[in-house]
Order: sequence, then C-alpha cells, then structure tokens
Amino acid sequence: MSFRQFAFGLTATFGIAWVAILIVPFFLLRSPAPVAFNEIADNKTGIYFPKSAGRIVNGEQVYAANGCINCHTQLIRPTYAGNDLGRADWGGMKLDPERGDTRRESNVFDYRFASFAQIGTNRLGPDLSNVGLRAVSAYAKGGNPRTWFLNHLYNPRNELDRQDSRCPPFSFLFDKVKIEGQKPSNALDVPVEAGYAIVPTSEANELVDYLLSLKRDEAVPASMNYAPPAKPAAAAAAKKG
Amino acid sequence: MSAETPQTTPEQDAVLRAAIDRSLRHPVMFFFTSGAAWLAVSILLGIISSIKVTSPGFLSGCSWLTYGRVFAAHTNALIYGWAFQAAFGAAIWLMARLSRQECRSAGIILTAGHVWNAAVSLGVIAILGGGSTCKPWIEMPVNAWVPMILSYFAIVIWSMVQFKVRPAGHVFVSQWYLLAALIWLPWVFITAHVLVNGFGGNPLMAAAINAWYRSGLTLLFFIPIAIGSAYYLIPKVSGRPVHSYSLSMLGFWSLAVIAPWAGMQKLAGAPIPNFLPYVGAAATILFAIPAIAVGFNLLKTAAGAPDTVMNSPTLRFTVAGVIGLLILGLASVLLNTPGGLRLSQFTFSNYGFDLLAIYGCFSFIAFGLIYFVVPRLTCREWLSTRLIKMHFMLSAYGVATLVLFTLFGGLMQGQGQEEFSLPWESASIRSFPYSVGTTVVWCFLLFSNVFFFIHLALMWLRLGRRSTHPTLLGVAHHDDLHDLTHGPEGDIDNAGPGSAPAHSH
Repeated sequence: MSFRQFAFGLTATFGIAWVAILIVPFFLLRSPAPVAFNEIADNKTGIYFPKSAGRIVNGEQVYAANGCINCHTQLIRPTYAGNDLGRADWGGMKLDPERGDTRRESNVFDYRFASFAQIGTNRLGPDLSNVGLRAVSAYAKGGNPRTWFLNHLYNPRNELDRQDSRCPPFSFLFDKVKIEGQKPSNALDVPVEAGYAIVPTSEANELVDYLLSLKRDEAVPASMNYAPPAKPAAAAAAKKG
Repeated sequence: MSAETPQTTPEQDAVLRAAIDRSLRHPVMFFFTSGAAWLAVSILLGIISSIKVTSPGFLSGCSWLTYGRVFAAHTNALIYGWAFQAAFGAAIWLMARLSRQECRSAGIILTAGHVWNAAVSLGVIAILGGGSTCKPWIEMPVNAWVPMILSYFAIVIWSMVQFKVRPAGHVFVSQWYLLAALIWLPWVFITAHVLVNGFGGNPLMAAAINAWYRSGLTLLFFIPIAIGSAYYLIPKVSGRPVHSYSLSMLGFWSLAVIAPWAGMQKLAGAPIPNFLPYVGAAATILFAIPAIAVGFNLLKTAAGAPDTVMNSPTLRFTVAGVIGLLILGLASVLLNTPGGLRLSQFTFSNYGFDLLAIYGCFSFIAFGLIYFVVPRLTCREWLSTRLIKMHFMLSAYGVATLVLFTLFGGLMQGQGQEEFSLPWESASIRSFPYSVGTTVVWCFLLFSNVFFFIHLALMWLRLGRRSTHPTLLGVAHHDDLHDLTHGPEGDIDNAGPGSAPAHSH
C-alpha cells in the first residue's frame, strides 16, 4: 500500500459517505416544498402552513440555554420506531372533544421556526411536541395555562399529583420583588416571605410562550397523513363523547 | 510501503529517541496533565448532574448548576478538555517517534495547546453561564470552534510534516490510524460546524448532522487514535510482532469504509429521508467488524506475554482498553438493531455508549500510553506502584459498572417508555436505581482520577524516581521481567542518551 493509495482510499471512503448523507440531503432539504390541501380528500384548499404566535424564537433560546433537551424530546416517532403514538396525549389528543383523535407523527413543518430541531437525546421527562396542548386541556385544570406553566417552572413539585416529578426547579427565571403598594398582577401564587412577591422574568415569559406554542396536532393534508383510516364506529363514538 | 530500513546502531537509535522525547517533553506533558485535570473537572460535573437526576432539588437555586447546563458542561469537559488533549499528546508523540523526527515546533504546539485550553475553558463557562447552543457536543457558543480548529491545525500539522519527511521505510499500522484520524477530524469538525452553525439549513438536517458529528468524533477520531496507540504499545511492550498483518488491514479499511456513514440513527423516526437513520444504524452495527478485527488481533498479540500484561501498567491499561473496544463493538450491535434502537434512542443508553467509547476504550488506552510515555519524557520513573494499581482497579471496575448501569439502566428506561398504557412516570422510576448507582460510581472514579492527576503532576515536576527500573505492578526488579517489559527499543535512557541499556548489567 503506497501513500498515494492510502490517501486515495481515505478520501474516497469518507468522501462518498460525506456527499451521500450530508451534502446532498442538506442542500435538497434546505427549503422543503409546501404541501397543498386537496379539495376532494381534505375538504379544503390552500397550502398546509401551521401558524404560531408569541415570542417563541426567544423562548427557544431559553429552552436551549437551560439544556431542556437533556430530558425532553420533541419527536413523535412513527410506530415502526417507537410507541410514542400509543400514548393518549403525546402526538395530539386521543379524545379531542371536537376533532376526535388528533394524534399524528411529527412532520418536517413542525420545526419550521427553529434554527435547530430540538429532537432531544433523552426522555427523563415526557415528550414536549404537544405540551402546549396538554397544558390547555389537562394540566391547567380549567385555569390559565400560562399561570400553570409559570408555577410549574418555579416548582415542578408544587402540585399533589406531581410530587414524584424529577424536573429541576427554574426558580432563577423568577425575581423576588418587594411589594410596594399593590401586589403585582403577575405575581405567582407561591409561598414567599411577607411583603415580597415572586414575578416571572422576561425569560420565563418567553419560555412559556415557546412551550405554549408546542401544539403539533393540526390536521395535515391527506397526502402526508399516515394515520390509519378512522373506523367509522369509533369516529362516531368519539364525536358523541 | 516497504523499502530497506536504514541501518543504525542501537546507540544512535537511543540518542535519536532521547532527542525526540526531549523535543516533545513540554507540549506532551502539558496535554496529558491539563487533560487529566479536565477529566477530574468533568467527573465532578458528572457527579453533580448525576445527583440531580435522582434529587432534582440538589443545588437548584443557582442558574449555573441547573441539570441541563451541568450535564452539557460535563460532556464538553470530558470530550474537549480531556479526550482531545490526551489524543493530541498521543498523536504528536507517536508520530514523532514512529517517523523518527524530532519536533521543531514545540513552542507553537504549546501555545496552540494553551489557546485550545482557553477556548474550552471559556466554552464550558459559557455553557454554565447560559450561553449553550443546546446542540449536543457543540453546546459551546458558536464562535468557540474557530480558535479550536485553528489551534488543532497548529498542533497536528507538524505531525503530518514529520510523516511526510520520515526516512523511507516501513509504515507502521499505528501510523495509518494516526494519519487517518488527523485527516478525518478536521473534515468532520468543519463540516458539522459549518453546516449546523453556519448555513441556514433545514433544522432537522442540522440535528441529523449533529448526530453524525457525535458519531464521527467518536468513531473517526478517538477510536482510531486509541487503536493506533494500542498498535504501538502492545507489540512494543510485549516484545511480540502484531499477530496478523491482514487482520490489521481489514480492521483499518473496514473502519474507513463503515464509520463515516454512522450516526444518524439517533434521529430514527424523525421526518428526514428514511435512508439516513437506516444507513446510520446499519453502519453502527457494522462497526463491530473493525472492532472485532482489531480487538482480536491485538489481544492475540498480547496473549503471548501474559506475565507482562499483568505486570506492566501500560499493557494492563491498554489491554483493558482493547477489551473495551470489543465490548463497544458488541454494544453497537445490540443498541442499533430495530428492537434495540427503539429502546435506546431516547434513554441513558446513548450516554452509556459514549462513555464506553470515550472512557472504556479511548481513555484506558490513553492511560496506558501515558504510563509508557511520561517516564521517557521526564527521565524519571513513576513514584508509586500502589497509586497505579489503585488507578487501574478503580477505573476498570468503575467504568465497567458505570457502563453497565447507564447502558442497561437505559434499556430498562426504554422498556418503561415503550409500555404506553402505563403512566409515563414508570419509565423514570425504572431507571432510578441505576441513576443512584451511576452517582456512586462517578465518586469512585473522581477519587481515582484526582490521584492520577497528582501522580502525573509530580512526574511533570520531575519528582519521579531516579531509577533505571520501571515501576511494575507485580514482583519488582525481576531481571527477566524487566527485559520483557522493556525490550531494546523501549529502554529508558535515564543514565543519559546512548548509555548502555539497563538490562545489560
């Protein structure tokens, strides 16, 4: 084996893989083509473009800076790769009062606002793809989901049914302010010494904006809907219930 | 690559070796010692993060010490603080020795080493301070990679030059691996950083490239450096030729063909082209081929000198690292089959796999190399057999249990995640005892590595033993054993370069 052969072999073996799995997919996927709804199959027209509101880009930075991905994923895998769709409230809502079963796997448009898909590496906590949805429909128990999130971030174990949570508290995203005059309207309802109040910082509000924006269950065009066709009886029952 | 080896007398050879060692003393000792310090820092951060998994309230008032930041700082310190610096020390020393060239740029290498350290320190502080990008293994702020890659080139370019101007002759197996690793690393590193941080690409593709980067760093840099070092140390210290040349070829070229495809299986099920995770999983499974070829070849070589393996600190660590490589090959199969991947994808198993590669394989061989090289650089012998034994025992048992807890605990956690009819908490409850175990093991490893660092620092201060007898682990000062442990090539020229070999008395 001469040096020339060695160098050629090294370049070829690495270069082929480099082009095939990095360069070509990277540039082909830079801007995925929008998918249109089909009037017959979907009963509506236009393109599929889910929307979000709030300071979610800033919130994502807070999410990143505090390493949330070390415990939380944002990926609902198809059933061949994992049982994420089996859980009742991960991929959507199993029993949405209006739409029935809204669960679906993640798609490429779910990450459209991010610069980096926060897929995550470990699931010490639940998947957050639809945490905004769960906060509204379940966690807040009819209350304000934003308030629920702020309380949860301040102390993840403050509710009786969450005593076993392993989520670290993010009390450093909150300020302890002295009450002068009226109690601040955004003060958290948590125990604190008299004369003081706990109020969220801008970072906490951004993070909650981001978490509330995580609702990835909107109906997708039929051409990219991989859910099994709903059984008519089950759909009817869901509608009734 | 075979031609007539230039004939030199043993004395000339000894003079040359001593000159090479002298020329590299400061940079290599700097890399090893600051690497060992980073390892202790990383383990300390590992203990904190591991306690936080089981007791989330621990040290939670301070933003610097929240789990996500500490864990990221822990992995970054381990990889860029310890593993990279140990690899630099290994690569520049081995390349100089094998190419028979003195280093003429020690000052530049040392300066670049300081730049690297400064970049890593600032990066880790930035992660703790809330500047993390949250892209696993490239959490440091976006600018950190520029000084890092520049200092990388300033450190290793001389090794490539040395290889280029080496005397015509045989190219050692170690040199293939070292040269390849030194070429692969910048390719992997620059590609990942430019595509993930530089170009605005698809966020999912950025995540996929990030996963590929983690795999590439492990399989195309740390593992080749480890294998290259082992191919030097085992034949050298055991005094036996490499078992099979064709197995060496198979091991090298199968790694070169397979490893660049690995990594994207960490995004299995994500909306990226399906072939990417499939190819990644297949390549990671196939990594077993080079692992087994190299592991078998090296163990077969070492098996001819069992007494030396037991008595030489170098060989004991190196052989343990080669066994780690074989286990890594096994784990890469188990964790990436369709059944294994769905259990391991989002669990501690990935962490366990990385620890197995970086600690269980790479670091052990790096420790072996350090025990071999440092006496030659400082012209002093290791101070204490007991410290070396303790380092070995705690590291070997510690890493074995650590990997078992994280890999197996991760699979248990995965079982809990898959059982979707049970409440979510059951997954974390299943991994709870393993997390407690991980904390305990990290404490033992911290203990052993603090003493390793102190031992190494004392050697750097040239406070080692002045003796021509190497520090061995079994019955000391046994003449036959000594000859076995340091063949004519491996003699330490403590009495000055060119002096009569120690075993000729």
